Formats: sequence, structure tokens, C-alpha cells
Amino acid sequence: MNATMLAQQILNGLAVGSVYALFALGYTLVFSILRVINFTQGAIFALGAYFTYLFTGSAFGFNGLLANAALPFGLPFPLAALLGGVLAGLVAIGVERIAFKPLRDKGADPLLTLVSSLGMAVVIVNVIQYLVGAEIYSFPASVMAGLPAALTFGPANNPIRIRTVQVIIFGVSMLFVVALTLMVNRTQLGKALRAVAEDATTASLLGINTDQLIQFTFFMSGLLGGIAGVLIGLSVSIAGPYFGISFGLKGLAVLVLGGLGSIPGAVVGGLAIGLAESLVPPDFVAYKEVIAFLFLFVFLLVRPQGLLGRPLTQKV
Amino acid sequence: MLSSRVTQTAFVLITVSALLLAACSGATTAPSASPAAAATAAPQAPAAGSSEISIGVAVAQSSNVSLFGQEQVLGAQIAEKYFNDKGGVNGTPIKLVYQDTAGDEAGAINAFQTLINDNVVAILGPTLSQQAFAADPFAEKAGVPVIAPSNTAKGIPQIGQYISRVSAPVAKVAPNAIAAALKINPDIKTVAVAFAQNDAFSKSETGTFQQVITDTYKFDLATVQTFQTTDTDFTTQASNIMNVQPELVVISGLAADGANLIKQLRDLGYTGLIVGGNGLNTANIFPVCQAQCDGILVAQAYSPQLDTAINKQLVDTYAAEQKKTPGQFTAQAFAGVQVLVEALQAVDQKTPIKGMALADLRTALNEQLLSGMIFDTPLGEISLDPEGEINQSQFYVAQIKMDSDGKTGQFVLLK
Amino acid sequence: MSNFLTTYGALIVSMVFAAMLALSLYLPLMAGQLSLASPGFYAIGGYVAAILSTTVFNTGESPYPLTFVVVEMLVAALASGVLAMVIGTLALRLRGIYLALATIAFVEILRVLALNLPITGGAIGIFGIPQPFETSLGYLWIAGPMLLASAWFVYRLERIRAGRALVAIREDELAADAMGINPTFHKVMAFTLGAILAGLVGVISAHFLNTWNARQGTFDASIAYLAFVLVGGSRTFLGPIVGGMALTALPEVLRAVAGTPGLPIELAQFLREGRMILYGILIVAVAVSFPQGLITPALLRRKRAVKP
Repeated sequence: MNATMLAQQILNGLAVGSVYALFALGYTLVFSILRVINFTQGAIFALGAYFTYLFTGSAFGFNGLLANAALPFGLPFPLAALLGGVLAGLVAIGVERIAFKPLRDKGADPLLTLVSSLGMAVVIVNVIQYLVGAEIYSFPASVMAGLPAALTFGPANNPIRIRTVQVIIFGVSMLFVVALTLMVNRTQLGKALRAVAEDATTASLLGINTDQLIQFTFFMSGLLGGIAGVLIGLSVSIAGPYFGISFGLKGLAVLVLGGLGSIPGAVVGGLAIGLAESLVPPDFVAYKEVIAFLFLFVFLLVRPQGLLGRPLTQKV
Repeated sequence: MLSSRVTQTAFVLITVSALLLAACSGATTAPSASPAAAATAAPQAPAAGSSEISIGVAVAQSSNVSLFGQEQVLGAQIAEKYFNDKGGVNGTPIKLVYQDTAGDEAGAINAFQTLINDNVVAILGPTLSQQAFAADPFAEKAGVPVIAPSNTAKGIPQIGQYISRVSAPVAKVAPNAIAAALKINPDIKTVAVAFAQNDAFSKSETGTFQQVITDTYKFDLATVQTFQTTDTDFTTQASNIMNVQPELVVISGLAADGANLIKQLRDLGYTGLIVGGNGLNTANIFPVCQAQCDGILVAQAYSPQLDTAINKQLVDTYAAEQKKTPGQFTAQAFAGVQVLVEALQAVDQKTPIKGMALADLRTALNEQLLSGMIFDTPLGEISLDPEGEINQSQFYVAQIKMDSDGKTGQFVLLK
Repeated sequence: MSNFLTTYGALIVSMVFAAMLALSLYLPLMAGQLSLASPGFYAIGGYVAAILSTTVFNTGESPYPLTFVVVEMLVAALASGVLAMVIGTLALRLRGIYLALATIAFVEILRVLALNLPITGGAIGIFGIPQPFETSLGYLWIAGPMLLASAWFVYRLERIRAGRALVAIREDELAADAMGINPTFHKVMAFTLGAILAGLVGVISAHFLNTWNARQGTFDASIAYLAFVLVGGSRTFLGPIVGGMALTALPEVLRAVAGTPGLPIELAQFLREGRMILYGILIVAVAVSFPQGLITPALLRRKRAVKP
């Protein structure tokens, strides 16, 4: 690989890495507070995109119960995206109430929440399909109007490029990470969250309303997931209700690599995996998929707390 | 409040009884066969008194494969109405019975079994070649003719005597697109290929493309990139492709992934020719690559612009309902139903099918299908050879032309 | 009744396979190990059968001789067992969700390898696999005894010292270690047994489905097996069996219920197209209301006690 190729692939890697990071942020938030993996994240991701699509006033296709439905008005994209994210966050709270809270109250095995959150994911994805069919939707082209398709760097005869929408995604994920880290580390609310993460019972004994905080956490993770879905939908269009599910699996690898429960870790993990995937030699691109999972496997054996997580202690 | 013990037992009992209920109702449920027919061990064809001929449709109506299945359902529905309006099978209307195969092999097997036991005369489906390899043998064993509307992998008609297809195999369709590309740019020397490694159809198609590229045209196949149908980021593969500076890129994948690869190739500065395989032969790619879909060459087994009466009928009916032009999946499903109806009409003219035993009818239908009779379908004139393979003389290459709004486009037939 | 068997023959066999695959996940779970690796070994078993029966053993005899099937099973058992011991010894030091993730990674890596190695046929896979039985129901001649044998095996395991050691490890690994039970040995043993069972089911499934490809061993399958165990019952050997059978039958039950004459059209349409929605709701409902699954030791004890 020559220097230009290398630079281009590094740029590609960072771009796809920030997509993984954006997705993983919602995942890691729930994990850091509750120590459970919320498998509905992929479905909520898709929901955010679909809600936003609805709010931009676009019409749904001819399949499904809501054939050809469209809102009589159309909101400007940033507002629609925000609203879509908020709605997704509300759905996440609903998921928490139905699939997580009852199990938490019973002190059940975390494995059960895995399964119940998966059941919820199946429900959400299939409801979307039932309502609006499985076609591909994309946001109106006017959203990106005026912006070039890609930004170009380097000499004119040998340029390297990065797609504009990916720059936006990178920027947004950095913004989210900074905002989240600040919130968790510098605010009263963040302190309460960390207390709940440390030990939920003690925290409630200290007067912290754990129930409300958990709902808030889910709301935030749903909001993040929904907005991630919108941005990625903007980049690659909304390819059917299942388009978030494939991120779920890679997201796990990102979580472990970065450190389960670490917010900056989600970004570091995402970028690392993105870079590793794009720097695979061109002839071995078929095994790109294996990279993420090889990392996952190796890290679990060698350093389960990931790059930025806290070392795990075994409680006796 | 009921004790959890009781609720638990109740749950278990409900599940078991539901299964039993389904079993019993399954035996008596045959929406279009007469009650007498279902209860006997040797099923009868539409007995005197029953007024419809039931044809099973087993395609993917759920899961992500439903994107294709939905289009097939539309084609079948339009065909049902069209032929029933013209009198059906010499006066007896047909009735399409749908069973969802979902996206996997087991679902296809279950759908086929249900239809076979619902006493359908024949089955149209399944959507994926992979599903066909699993489910077709069941129909073969039961002596039920199967018309595959969209299985294009190698070896499908060879599964059995009762298995035929109206979807031309990949090996016939694909090479035409390369020829068309060469006509547009005679200076093609270097070619890059990309395909979806987790899709059986794409893998099969890319084999054909690569062989044509290296053996027939002797181009330099500079790189072969792979991706997954579930991928959304293709910048790595796109950069690898651009690095070898090809004049032509050939992509075998499905709609969303293929179109995203194309969009990202164009975003990153590729200006050469692009040939899309059969998976991109659908208007579903337009929302994804939008204005950048322009110029893609696609080899087709169907063109909405074919100027025959029956094709115009299909295109007009579809456009009236869906406000766009029908794609290959729709047309092939229509052709599948047509082939069955016209063969049934021919059988009926030789021996009245009312009163025929179902097993005999199915066999007679199969013989008629493979007899070499010609069907004038929206795909052009086709017939089935004795193995069940389709004989299709007309293939098309289209180039996509996007409208100025970047949202809608046409597959413009190239002469 | 014969109509029922013809229609649902394939489903019944699938249910039996599902029950065994659930058991293959239950075995490591007895030791508290959440291993989602079964689909990987299932895939390996299937490929062994597919490759052997279409190349080395391809005599063209019909039906395919059962002796060959047995040989394939032995090869698959060996391959799964050895691989499981290697992977197990490496990975079983991990706990809880970390082990689950490691096994998920293992399954994904196997899947991508299966897609790219020439011998597995890539995405197309291998088809035209010879049939040892003429009808789907015929497979019950092998699947039935296999299920009974594995159920009996697990039932006995629960009662002998090795099985109780597994439960002890599940309850408190450190304490069990302190009591002289070797955790690593037992965990690897449970993991390997589960892997071998999954491999054996893979062999017979490949023949049953006529075709085998990389889609047979995926993450989605892991989750399905997990649901079988957690919904059916995670504390007794009957749980996975019931869970596997019930959840495999469920989409088809819903399909059949959708076909009952006299149902209002909207309901029938919903049942047909929204089957998966009901499926998801059921999983959530059972997971939330019955943390130990539907079949629990308490339920069984009570039933036994009630008998006069």
C-alpha cells in the first residue's frame, strides 16, 4: 500500500469507526449503569430513523398497514431528527418498564434480561415491518443540499476523500462523547448515576431515586441510539427494519474492546475496530469481518476489561 | 390472584393445546378445497361442486427477504385477476393460496408442506435459490409441480422432474451486461469485481461474471473485493477498487448493499462504468444511490419496455396501483402464474380436469409444462425444456437514467 | 391424523432437533456457563456430513446407507470434541457475559471462514446431500432415539457426582473450588459434551435439509437456543426439551391458527404476517414472568408429590 492509499484507508477507518462508536455509546451507557446488554438497541436505532423519516413529512410505501401514510406537514431535518431521537428515547423507557424492570425487581439472572430484551427487539422490528413494510427509505436529498458529496484533501491528481456525511457523523459522535463524559463526571446527576452503577441498593438507601435514574439512562441511550440511526440512515439510507440489528453484533465487539461501561472506551473501541478493518490488505478483504471478532476473542482472553475499562474484581 | 404454580401449568397446557388445536384445524383447513377432499387420504382435485383451482404461492412475505417477496406477491395478484377476468382455466377461476416462507430454509419447507397438504395443484416459489434446494425435494417427492419465479442459481431444475423455473439462470443473463459496457467504452482493459460473500445468488453470479471477464474478454481482473449484504460501509472496498484504476466495476449484491457500494464509489471519485448484477435490477436501489444511480448498466431477464400486449397490460396495471414500473421479480411471478394457467387450459382441453384425481392432475400439468409449449409472457416468448429449464431468447441490458429530482428513475433499454 | 403427520412431519423432526440443540446449551449452563457456541459446532457437524456424503461416501446408493451416517457422526463428534476442548480451556476462565461474548465471537469467526473456504462452498454451500430416509418423518428413526438418549444422559448427569459438581460450580465457583472440585475440568467437560451433541445434531440436520451453508450457524441461532432454555426451563433437563419443541412449533402453530376458517380477516392477516410479533411478545412475557422458565424443578416436585 502506498502512502496515499494508506492515508485514504486510515480516513475510511476513522469514518466507519465513528459509526460503530456512535452506536456503541447507547449500548455502553446502559451497561455501565445496569451491567446488562440491551439488545433492543438495534431496534431503537432503526426506530429513530423511521420516526425522523415520518417527521420530515415523507410518505411510506405501499406495503404494510400504514401504506402511503405521510404526515400532512414536514419538519426541517434537524428538528425532525431531534424529535425522532426523543421518541426513540421514550420507546426505550417503555422497553425498560416491560422487559427490564420486572426482572430487576425479582433479582433475576442477567441472562434473562438478555433474552427478554431480544424478544422486545423482535417485537419492535416486526411491528415496523407490519406497519410500513420492508422497503428502503431515504431522507429527502434536500437535507444534504449545498454540501459536497465528499471533502477532498491532498494534491489534485492523487486526492484522498472522505464523505461529508461521515465527517458529520464523526463530529456528532465526538460531541456526544464529550457531553456524556462531562455529564457523568461533572454533574450531580452524573454522580448519582455513578453511585447507582457502583451499587444500586446502597444508592437507593442514600436517597437516590434509582428507578428514575434508570429510566433516565434508558431515555438517553434511546435518544443516542435513535439519533445514531438517523445519521446512519442519512449516510446509507434506511434499508428496512433490520438495518440496525447488524450493528448490534459489532457493537458488542466495540464494547469489549473499549471497555465495558466506559464511555470514552466506546469511541476508542469503535475507532480501533474501524481502523483495523480498513487496514486489512486488499486481497484479504473477505476476512475483514473476522477482525472485529478476533479482537473481541483475544481481548476477552487477555484483557477482559478492554482498553479503558476498570479491571474486573471477583467478589467473594 | 392465581398462584404462579397454576399460571405456570396453565401456560404449558395452553401451548400444548394450541399445538393440538392447530393440528386438528390444519387437517380440516383448506380454504379452497371442498371439505370432503381434505378428510380423505387420497386427495381429490376440485370435485364437482368446488369451483376453483388452487395454486400455492410460497414466497418470503416476512423477514428481510420480503423485499423481493412483496414484489412477487404483487405480480401473482395481478396475474390472478388478469386470468380470472379472462375466464380462468376454461371457465374455472384460479385461487392463489399464500404461505409465507420467511427468509430461511426451514420456513420454506414448512410453507411447501402446508400448501401440499392444502391440495394445491402446483406451487409458485420459493424466493431464494437456497430455500429451493431445501424445499423443492419435498414437492418432488409429493409429485407437485413447482415453478420457480426467481431462483437463478445453477442446478435448480435438476433437483427433480417436477421442478421448473421461469427465471433465466445467471449464466445466461450476466454476460450481456459486459458486452454492453464494452460497446459504450471500447477501451476497457482493467476491471474490478465486488460481490456479497454471504449471499448464494451473488456468489453464483460473480462466478459467471469473473469467468466472462477473464476468459471471454481477456480483461485484467485487477481485484476482487467482497462485502456482506448487511454491510453499510464500503469505503474500504471502494478505495481498494479505485486504487487499481479500473475502467469497469462489476458488482453482484442485493439492492441496499450494492447501491450503497455504488454511491460510496461515486462519492469517493470513481467516474468509470459500473455494471450491476441481477440483485440491483430493482427500483429499490433508487432511494439509496439516488442521483448517483445514473449510468449503471444492468442485464435483465425482463424489461418493462418490451412492446407486447401482455407486457403492456402488466405494466399499466402495476403502474396504476403502485405509481411506478414493475421490476423483474414482479414480471417473473406473473409469468409463473401465466405458465401454470395456460398449461392447465391445455390439459383441460385434452381431458376435462373437473373430476380428475389431484395426483393425476398434478402429473398431467407437469407433463404439459415440459412439453415445449410456448408461452407469450411479459418476459417475451418462453418455453420450458424437458429438464424444466427456461428457454428464453430475449435478454435485455438497461442503463439507469435518473430523473432530475434524483428520486425516480428508469431502466432504459439499450438497443 | 395421517394428514397431520404428512403436513407436520418436517416440523416434528425440527422440533426434536431443536430440543437437542437446547440441551447442548443447557449442559454448560448447568455449570453456570453461558455458552452461545452451539451453532458453531452444529455448523461443523453439518459440514462434516455434507462434505463426506457428497465426496468420499458418494456411492449414489439410495437411500443413503445408515452406516455412513454413523461414521459421519463419529467424525463430527471427534472434530467438535477436540475443538471444544481447545476453545473451552482457553475461554472458560471467563465469567458470565464475557464468556457469552467470547462464544459469540467464536461462532462469527467460524461463519466467515465457512463463507470463504472453498471446501464449504461459500455462500452457496453444499447441496444435493444424500438422504438416508425417504420421508421427513423417517428421520425420527434417528432423531427420536438421539433425543431420548441425550435426555436420559442429562437426567443421569444431574444425579451423579459430576453433575452435582456442575451445579455447585454454578452456585458458587470459589466455594466449590475450595471444596476440592476442579472447576476448569468440569466446565470444559460440560462445554465439550454440549459441543459434541450440537455436532451430532448438525450431521443429521444436514441430511434432513438437503443443503448446508453458512447460514446454519449464526448468532441468531444462538439466541434462539438460549430462548429455548430460558423459556422452557433452565434448571431441569426437561426445560430445554419443552422449550425447544414449543418455540419451534410456535410460528407454525400461529400459521395454522391463521388458517382456521371463520376468523375475521384482519385477525387472520395479522396472525399470518405478524407471527413474529406474537413470538417476540411471548418470549418477553415468559422471560419476565417465569425467571426459571416454564418447567421448573419445583413444578415437577409438586406434580410428583400430588400423585397418590
